[in-house]
Amino acid sequence: MKKRLGIISLFVMLFIAFITIWNFSYEKGMEEGYVPVLEESPNNSYIPAERGVFERSEFALEYSSMPVDKNHERSLDSYYDNRAYHGAPPSIPHPIKEEKSLGGNTCLQCHQNGGFVERLNAYAPVSPHPEMVNCRQCHVAQNSNTLFKPANLAQVHAPKVGVNNAMIGTPPMIPHQIQMRENCLACHAGPAAPKEIRVTHPERVNCRQCHLPTDRIVSEITPFTRTNSHKNE
Amino acid sequence: MYNSLSTRRSFIKKMAKLSAMTAAASMFPGILFASEQEQGIPNGADLEWKKGPCRFCGVGCGILVGTENGKAVAVKGDPNSAVNKGLLCVKGYHQTMCIQSKDRLTHALVKKNGKYVQTPIQEALDIVANKMKETIDAHGKDSVAMYTSGQSTIPEGYVASKFMKGAIGTNNLDCNARLCMASAVTGFLTTFGADEPMGCYEDIDHADYFITWGNNMAEMHPVLFSRMLEQKSKRGAKIIDFATRTSRSSTASDRSILFEPQTDLAVANAICYEIINNGWVNNSFVEKHCNFSKGLTNIGYGVEDKFKFADKPEKIDFSAYKAFLKEYSPEKVAKYSGVSVKDIKYLASIYGDPNKKVVSYWCMGMNQHTRGTWMNNLVYNIHLLTGKISQPGNGPFSLTGQPSACGTAREVGTFTHKLPKGVVTNPKNRELAAKIWKVPVERIPSKPTYHATEMFRAVDRGDIKFIWTQVTNPLVSLPKTSRYRPGMEKKSCFVVVSDVFPTPTSDVADVILPASWHIEKSGLYGNSERRTQHWDKMVEGPGETTPDAWMTIQVAKRMGYGDLFPYSEENHVEEIYNEYRQFHEGAKHGMAPLEVLKKESGAIWPYVNGKSTQWRFNAKYDPACSNGEAFDFYGKPDGRAVIWQRPYEPPAESPDSEYPYWLNTGRVIEHWHTGSMTRRIPVLHKAMPSAYIEFHPDDAKALAIRNGEQIKVTSRRGSCVLPASINERGLPTKGQVFVPFFDENMLINDVTLDAFCPISKEPDYKKCAVKIEKV
Repeated sequence: MKKRLGIISLFVMLFIAFITIWNFSYEKGMEEGYVPVLEESPNNSYIPAERGVFERSEFALEYSSMPVDKNHERSLDSYYDNRAYHGAPPSIPHPIKEEKSLGGNTCLQCHQNGGFVERLNAYAPVSPHPEMVNCRQCHVAQNSNTLFKPANLAQVHAPKVGVNNAMIGTPPMIPHQIQMRENCLACHAGPAAPKEIRVTHPERVNCRQCHLPTDRIVSEITPFTRTNSHKNE
Repeated sequence: MYNSLSTRRSFIKKMAKLSAMTAAASMFPGILFASEQEQGIPNGADLEWKKGPCRFCGVGCGILVGTENGKAVAVKGDPNSAVNKGLLCVKGYHQTMCIQSKDRLTHALVKKNGKYVQTPIQEALDIVANKMKETIDAHGKDSVAMYTSGQSTIPEGYVASKFMKGAIGTNNLDCNARLCMASAVTGFLTTFGADEPMGCYEDIDHADYFITWGNNMAEMHPVLFSRMLEQKSKRGAKIIDFATRTSRSSTASDRSILFEPQTDLAVANAICYEIINNGWVNNSFVEKHCNFSKGLTNIGYGVEDKFKFADKPEKIDFSAYKAFLKEYSPEKVAKYSGVSVKDIKYLASIYGDPNKKVVSYWCMGMNQHTRGTWMNNLVYNIHLLTGKISQPGNGPFSLTGQPSACGTAREVGTFTHKLPKGVVTNPKNRELAAKIWKVPVERIPSKPTYHATEMFRAVDRGDIKFIWTQVTNPLVSLPKTSRYRPGMEKKSCFVVVSDVFPTPTSDVADVILPASWHIEKSGLYGNSERRTQHWDKMVEGPGETTPDAWMTIQVAKRMGYGDLFPYSEENHVEEIYNEYRQFHEGAKHGMAPLEVLKKESGAIWPYVNGKSTQWRFNAKYDPACSNGEAFDFYGKPDGRAVIWQRPYEPPAESPDSEYPYWLNTGRVIEHWHTGSMTRRIPVLHKAMPSAYIEFHPDDAKALAIRNGEQIKVTSRRGSCVLPASINERGLPTKGQVFVPFFDENMLINDVTLDAFCPISKEPDYKKCAVKIEKV
């Protein structure tokens, strides 16, 4: 009897220890990274415009191991075809499921994380700014191919790939504005990324360590001049 | 290995092989892929590649420079370098683009009747030597000074030291590393008795937590930060950012904790309080390997001329230290630090957990601090109390700013109190220097003279009548340039500036000497992790540009010290290095021989029996440990590191009703220090064309300031006008503004305060009081 009691109490103790340890490790696992300026004081809720740079970096390793689906690749041409001009918000090239709905209810179901869409036989591109949910404020539908009146729209040539390096072999520049497009991986990684601009190394998430923006501000940047110099040459 | 790789194909083959070898041989996942490297090289490019260290920053990445027809046309990361494994940053990739800048200083310029006249270099060097000699004859040895750099190569620093201390016999030699690393040095010396980190970059591959103290590594040490990010995504390592400004690093961190300026002292003590209070102390480690000490308090700020301070260390015991910490409970510290009790306890619990490996990183936030030495001591306290030190993945790691702040400024010792081994105040160290230099020991003076700030104060006062600056731009980088620019313009001081490009410092020079750039000369650098790196000359410099070391030697020869400088023009780098190595012989600081450095992408000292020592003071890795224990802090005579009792003290200047904002200054990823090189690289200039003043959006709203508006920032020293930046690169805490200091057209250092740490004499660029007006 005593022996049995001993065994039972041993197992009870083991069970309790298991529950405690399991709870502890579960609690530890719940520890999520966060930037407390956001959570702790609502009056302080500003983060730098660079915030998007590291978004989606949690998927970086998955991106780097994703196989390429050659049959459903997008090209840079079709990417630009879908924009009024270089840098314009892309229009919506497919029929829209739900006219009244916005953001998380419709568009983001496919455009938050992407994925293959059977109906359209294509991969959904990922939005670089999923926090802005009034999608159709900027993105217009294409419901007709005809024009009300033709216009002489000036054609601005979009930047080309492969001619964008400052020196031989240096990392290509960022030839576009990055306002609302701070999150590089959204467009430059994954199966919906145009094949010409898909990055070979999505796991290196600190993109702007090596890639410089060339199109930072709208006005012309003059070469460096010394305005304080009192030197007479 | 790289010297004769002339064809693209063989280069790539060898690179691929090398990278496979490196990947297999190390724990790091290889970042380099041969196909990727190949992609970047256009067909038909017939480049010759040579290895070297990067010109910018203290990380010390290995680079490969591709040359064609004697011109540098390509740069890429050296896959064989254990530092960066083939990766660089925006500055690194484009570094050689500045060489061909149109305003390059190609010939010596001598000021005659207020105008600069192009002069043959030999004649200019005659003028410099004559003037130096005349000044010494008329006013004594201590009326001439030399101000060099953490970007000087090892041979450049060595001949400067030998010239000033051994030949002339004055300690009037200091360098710009005083402005960035002096507190780290005094921190190491007071706690461990031996300078420079005990660990190495490989710690990144082992640590579970990275805690960065006032340090924006994503911009300032980008390659190391990428290595951390890699460990974050692959192993789940965590990055905790502890700072006064939300930066690119904060957004990539798992947690960003903000504190009020200067309260890092209190928070560090609070972490120690928690560690002791919760029983997380590693008792056997502390008993065997640590002493407790306290020093003087209320030690001043050095804002007055001829400020003097000497600490008086006093041994205490653990119980006295515990009693001292009572003032630093998390509840008390939370009241003035702006860090919540929860966050302080969180930080302490990371350090206190015996199963978590923690590396602390810091750079200018802790060093440019009026209590910089204390702050360094306090972080060491945390690591010593928990015994998390000198092991792979565990340890405090002080990052450097400049490529050879360690190799040249600290190891060669281009400070007023230093010799290549030891200090001028120690007779044994003077004897060794005299023996190797072959000079009478009496010639080396035993008293330190001017540290950087005091040196320029002495110029202003008229005490220094001749100054020669090399590889540095003090009239942009000194604090309170509003005083030191007019000081250097005075007729009382003859100013010689050696540089590659015209700068605000060369603007006030009497003679400008045209220096060779990085790859236009051979040299050696030493990075943060004690890695010595050698490179061979890769391209010819334009005009009469000359290596700085050779110009120093030429002047020394003209002054009659030729027998002390018997080096040849072609081989002076090697001859000097071989002479210098004698200073550090032995297991504690042995330097790798030149043949090894030529072959390998750097080697870490102590280099003993053909092996780099990655973790010092740990008997498992460091052959210099001799006490039979697991650890031996052999820098101290009893082999014990010191846990220092250092209190919180307020900064030299705090915001008040007249000057209500904190001013913090710093850097950006695109520009290197004062921008004299990077601003002449078109792509970097386009990405960051001018400095700016960053506001917290609440402050901007209260002041009705919009992005891009011209703002005048004024302190008791001076003022500066810059465009406002709200919510762009970074976000200072409320009540604080931030300005990067790279822009010579917007001199923020006219505004900063020249208060410094009384122990290290390193100025605090991070804290002074300013007011803001719209222009």
